Amino acid sequence: MPDATLRVYRGTPGQPAHFQDFQVPVDEGMVVLDALHWIQAHRAPDLAVRWNCKAAKCGSCSTEINGKPALTCKARLSDFAPGETIVVEPMRTFPLIRDLVTDVSWNYEVNRRIQPFTPPADVPQSEWRWQQQDIERVQEFRKCIECFLCQDVCHVLRSHETDNLFIGPRFLVRAAGLEMHPMDTADRLPFLKDEGGTGYCNITKCCTEVCPEHIKITDNAIIPLKERIADRYYDPFRMIWRRLRGTKAPAPAPAATTKA
Amino acid sequence: MQAVYDALIVGAGGAGLWAALELAQAGVKTAVITKLYPTRSHTGAAHGGVCAALGNLEEDHWEWHMFDTIKGGDYLVDQDAAEVLAREAIECVIELEHMGLPFNRTPDGKIDQRRFGGHTRNFGEGPVRRSCFAADRTGHMILQTLYQQCLKAGVVFHDEYQVVDLLFEGGDAGEGGRAAGVVAYRIADGEIFPIRSSAVLLATGGFGRMFRITSNAWSLTGDGIALAWRHGVPMQDMEFFQFHPTGIVGIGILLSEAARGEGGYLLNDSGERFMKRYAPTMMELAPRDMVSRAIYLEVRDGRGIGGKDYVHLDVRHLGRKVIEEKLPDITDFARVYQGVEPITEPVPVQPTAHYAMGGIPTDIFTRVTRDEHNTVVPGLYAAGEAACLSVHGANRLGTNSLVDLLVFGRRAGLQMAREVGGVDLPILARNVEEPVRAELRAIRDRPSGESASRLRRELADVMMDQVGVFRDEPTLSMALPKVRELRERYERVSVQDKGRTFNTDLLEARELGYLLDCAETTVAAALARRESRGAHSREDFPERDDVNFLSHTLAYRGAPGRPTLRYKPVTITRFAPKPRTY
Ligand SMILES: Cc1cc2nc3c(=O)[nH]c(=O)nc-3n(C[C@H](O)[C@H](O)[C@H](O)COP(=O)(O)OP(=O)(O)OC[C@H]3O[C@@H](n4cnc5c(N)ncnc54)[C@H](O)[C@@H]3O)c2cc1C
Ligand code: SF4
Ligand code: SF4
Ligand code: FES
Repeated sequence: MPDATLRVYRGTPGQPAHFQDFQVPVDEGMVVLDALHWIQAHRAPDLAVRWNCKAAKCGSCSTEINGKPALTCKARLSDFAPGETIVVEPMRTFPLIRDLVTDVSWNYEVNRRIQPFTPPADVPQSEWRWQQQDIERVQEFRKCIECFLCQDVCHVLRSHETDNLFIGPRFLVRAAGLEMHPMDTADRLPFLKDEGGTGYCNITKCCTEVCPEHIKITDNAIIPLKERIADRYYDPFRMIWRRLRGTKAPAPAPAATTKA
Repeated sequence: MQAVYDALIVGAGGAGLWAALELAQAGVKTAVITKLYPTRSHTGAAHGGVCAALGNLEEDHWEWHMFDTIKGGDYLVDQDAAEVLAREAIECVIELEHMGLPFNRTPDGKIDQRRFGGHTRNFGEGPVRRSCFAADRTGHMILQTLYQQCLKAGVVFHDEYQVVDLLFEGGDAGEGGRAAGVVAYRIADGEIFPIRSSAVLLATGGFGRMFRITSNAWSLTGDGIALAWRHGVPMQDMEFFQFHPTGIVGIGILLSEAARGEGGYLLNDSGERFMKRYAPTMMELAPRDMVSRAIYLEVRDGRGIGGKDYVHLDVRHLGRKVIEEKLPDITDFARVYQGVEPITEPVPVQPTAHYAMGGIPTDIFTRVTRDEHNTVVPGLYAAGEAACLSVHGANRLGTNSLVDLLVFGRRAGLQMAREVGGVDLPILARNVEEPVRAELRAIRDRPSGESASRLRRELADVMMDQVGVFRDEPTLSMALPKVRELRERYERVSVQDKGRTFNTDLLEARELGYLLDCAETTVAAALARRESRGAHSREDFPERDDVNFLSHTLAYRGAPGRPTLRYKPVTITRFAPKPRTY
């Protein structure tokens, strides 16, 4: 098999970055991560790469390959055209640590802001009963491996003007998994509408396209959440009802979400 | 930086997280230190399920589960521990559900259960539905559920901090000293500092990376086990390492037992279902150790595919619908990593190193013990794959690892919460981190020397080829000097990355040292155990020998490459050892 050419981003913050080219011998079944390991073992032991499972299950090895957010452990070399240079770069949405490794800790901070699972206080302590169809809906969201590729691709987060105004697709998926859990009693809609910035998403579906777990992020998580928010806050009948009752109707999003 | 916590958990897999949760809920100031982000821990790879005798679909009793665990472990299981495991599994599963874990349901809304290898009704009469599962992501969902609960309870997380040493006061662990904390290395910038605590739990997982072909993630390098050993705690039952029969050829990624559970065949070069010669009734569903041995023998006798070192897993006859709906992960793995289409082609498989039965000896309260009298090391605890209770004995049953994490992770948290109250925080000498800092500096500053990745490859080769599925005196006797040689060369290991930022070159060199520790005890214990039991198969001693070897091996650190071996009796309460037939 002919060698593959990898063009790998090298650099640390504050230093001028550059790309380094490597010729890597190709074996059957190799993925981009294997090629990076070959580079580490034979050419550049100081290349920084984050990975763990090499089975597309831990979400560690996210990068951008030829400009597209992808797991290096799931990208087969044989899927590239012969002779094509494979460009591997760190995720652009997150601050660089070194080479292909980025600082994704912001996501873990966002996660903390979402109210966790809250069952009713008086629920029986014995086994619960619920239906398989309800479970499957929740399980889809719970497949998420937190690779943050969807966060990386989302233009709202990528532009960096809205970092802390929008929690991003990954966390709308998480919120949906909680909101649709039949035993959960918390109400996350006010959070999702305001601090969560759900209104910023304009349903481009780029997130769904990159999800390695094939979660239908937009159709199954974001749109239903948007509908729930709309039903509660922007339903004209409810607005009239609230006005009659004297409660102030909220202004439409996203204006309401822009905070100082 | 210096930090102080009442309790410190090393490792954020299922075992570590549940322990942390119990502690925080009891109001103990608790921190988790993990070299990976918590939800990237290897527990997330477990797809099979978690067994508990709920009896939701048919009659089941925890006593049956206890029996299966003991028999599966070829009677090397400590039966008091197996009793705790089987009993408490039930409450743990229900508790997880109440934390929000979405288990699959039966038609009347209860937790669904399915069959799994080695789990039987009425002491071996036939298979029973005991495994609870959440799609094919049970481990992943356990990890996520526990992590979110830990945040809610106020556990502090130090993500991407690697523990590089353990601290004791009043002497080393082997001399009656008590746990005093750890030394941590911050991966992002190479900062090294001590963390003080009078209660330390080691939940660092296994060490499958010792072998060339393994289902284990890169991070599974036996850190906790080796660090405790360097301070005088023995390693227990290291000769027992489980090989799973169906790993992807060359890379070892696991194709789960589900493929055979659904009716998949194993075929040799002439297309024969060779299991009929090894386990005529159970065929492909015989226990893992037996199937792995059968594959190995086929290959050795030249019946591997094209004479090579693998066989075929064939699911074509199940049809597209079953394959795509019931075996989605397997299909995905075969397509991505092998370029094989399981609907139309057989999938090449070979045994893959999967699970460490051995590890840090503990009692049923997860307290680390350091000798044959179960003398406790005060303040030091271990749980999960890193620990050896022993609840899996010579061979672990499928799904019993997740049960182990839950039951004993929880017990660890409860026990630590009980004990931390009465203990003063340890006082650490200044610069306690200096020895390990010097060790790391020596590796980094050495201008040239042995390459860590090369040593690691050689180690993985010798362990796979000479200490793998089958063993005998001549091959083990060759492995022993090879491991010693690698250890000597490791003294001169050097790295090319001299920086501080995310220097995995350096950390991998450090981890290689842990793997060498584990390899050295594995080889020595395997050589000394002149019998075959569970996962340990000696061709020169093919029978189990209860007269001489119904005991646990304790391997202590001795001169480099020469551990000292001692033995500890097995606890037998209900079930006298019987031949293990299926
Ligand atoms: C592919 C696969 C499938 C499996 N399927 C099943 C199944 O279906 N059912 C079942 O019961 N079992 C299964 N197992 C086994 C089971 O998943 C593991 O035994 C179990 O998850 C181990 O959990 P743990 O909590 O002990 O450690 P792990 O989940 O391995 O976590 C180890 C933790 O320790 C941390 N750590 C390690 N070293 C250090 C250090 N030096 N400093 C700081 N932190 C450190 C890591 O960051 C990590 O957080 C499977 C295993 C594999 C490989
Ligand atoms: S659909 Fe919404 S969340 Fe997804 S990428 Fe587009 S804007 Fe972002
Ligand atoms: S939703 Fe998909 S793309 Fe986003 S973090 Fe989860 S697995 Fe990754
Ligand atoms: S290494 Fe785990 S997802 Fe790629």
